[in-house]
Amino acid sequence: MKKILLVEDEKSLSLLYQEELAKEGYQVIVVYDADSAMEKVRSEEFDLIITDIRMPGKDGIELIASIMGSRKDIPIIINTAYQSYKDDFMTWAADAYITKSSSLDELKQTIKKLLKEN
Amino acid sequence: MIESYHLQPLNFNPETPKELVLLSIIAQSFFQPFSVEDNLLVILTALTSGTGIGFNRAMLFLSEGERLKATMWLGPRSPEEAQAIWTMLSSPGLGYAEVVEHNRELIARTMESLKPQLKLLNYPLEDDNLLLPALAAGKKEIILVKEAFSEPLVDRHFLDFVQVDSFLCLPLLAHNEIMGEIVVDNAITRVPINQRDIELASLCALLAGNYIYTTNLYKKVVEMEKMAALGEMAAFISHQLRNPIVAIGGFTQQLLNNPCNPDRCHRNLGIIQEEIKHLEAIIYQLSHFLKIKIKELVPVDIQPILKGIVERPDIKNKTQDKTVSLRIMDNPPLIICDPVYFEEAIVNLLDNALDVSPAGGKIYVRACQTRKNWLTILIKDSGPGLDEKGKEKLFSPFYTTKENGLGLGLLFVKRVMEMCGGKIEVQSKPGHGTIFKLYFKAQERSGI
Repeated sequence: MKKILLVEDEKSLSLLYQEELAKEGYQVIVVYDADSAMEKVRSEEFDLIITDIRMPGKDGIELIASIMGSRKDIPIIINTAYQSYKDDFMTWAADAYITKSSSLDELKQTIKKLLKEN
Repeated sequence: MIESYHLQPLNFNPETPKELVLLSIIAQSFFQPFSVEDNLLVILTALTSGTGIGFNRAMLFLSEGERLKATMWLGPRSPEEAQAIWTMLSSPGLGYAEVVEHNRELIARTMESLKPQLKLLNYPLEDDNLLLPALAAGKKEIILVKEAFSEPLVDRHFLDFVQVDSFLCLPLLAHNEIMGEIVVDNAITRVPINQRDIELASLCALLAGNYIYTTNLYKKVVEMEKMAALGEMAAFISHQLRNPIVAIGGFTQQLLNNPCNPDRCHRNLGIIQEEIKHLEAIIYQLSHFLKIKIKELVPVDIQPILKGIVERPDIKNKTQDKTVSLRIMDNPPLIICDPVYFEEAIVNLLDNALDVSPAGGKIYVRACQTRKNWLTILIKDSGPGLDEKGKEKLFSPFYTTKENGLGLGLLFVKRVMEMCGGKIEVQSKPGHGTIFKLYFKAQERSGI
């Protein structure tokens, strides 16, 4: 079973993603901030990371920069409510940029593509 | 030994060169909080007043888009009117400000009666067959016209209007762009325009061109700043609204896909209800923040307000396992603020301090006077403190460390402080808590 790290500070959204992605057959580990995400990345293996950008404390961009320093091999999806960050140069470091939507189709398809499950 | 001089040059004696007088007049007007129209009027006044160059009349054209439009005309319309004005203006003790004031009225009168005719003096700058006066702007050259009535290059509408045989056209340029044009003449005295008049007038034109350029640039910057703030605000609002909407949509979809599970139904409806409440809170806070407008600053007694805040139920509720220590100096001066916004600002800071302080933590609120006519209110928490990066983000719009925060609280406090002429400062170090210092303008109680 592929293991996904979800970094999302909105509790209800993280629950929604966790449940919906579990239905797709993924194991989803949820953390609510960037520091906890870094701890998880150091101690566990993940096949993919999904992160929000705006979070309390360090933001998603800082998280990507830290992950890139140690684990360049893990694909990263930015899943954010902000459309305007798309041009931010650090978001290029992510493998995909998705604007949050109540339909999770784009997210699910992107995960499949990045995990080469198509 | 030192000698001090007033920033604005005082009156000059009759021997002072005209260039210097002229520069001084214009520089002084730019120093004043005059409107754009008034400053342009000053330039026209400098061209027409006895202490300036002394032309009889001056007409200002401004470039709008690709057109040159007559905007202002200063000068008497008959020898009698001229005599009356010059007699008045030569009265002893009359300062430059009075001359400008007089000219403002004169222009207002002229414009009222001549507006329809002035409107006709409107030339497309890209026209290949431009006539004078617009030709000077089009060619970016100063043009002196003599024997205008027999000159085919002069626009007849213009000539019918000004009724003068000789006039000088001064293009107003900046960075090689056409800002406008000034046309001057001696219609009343009929004194020929000489080389020195042209040199002095070109100096005025140079200043006017650059002044208009700078003013236009300033307007653009203000507009761009507004747009940038609007863009940031729009991005933030869409972000804030999108999160709960995505949750509502997602959990609704789950219900539609799997309507039979009553536990799941109940849980999802609960989440949807919470998210709707969150949306309502966002809308309330946004409208509250956006409408902040202080109508009148009044002297405010901080004592009852600060004491009242500490006793507020919402604050008391948060202080069950924390202590708030309030100390106010004896007989504090009154601060200049809006009492309602003052209370909200303090509640905001105290609420933050309580949120970041751990159980058993202490929050200090102090009011003291460190400088005459100022009062300082200090709020210190026992939270984790902030590093330099955290401090930088603190007043960024929409930055928050709270789960349901909007990141508008501190911005609100900052705006309140700015609106009442005060200042806010933050001191913080990781592990040492954070201190907010609010500096308010103050006045002694005896003054009331």
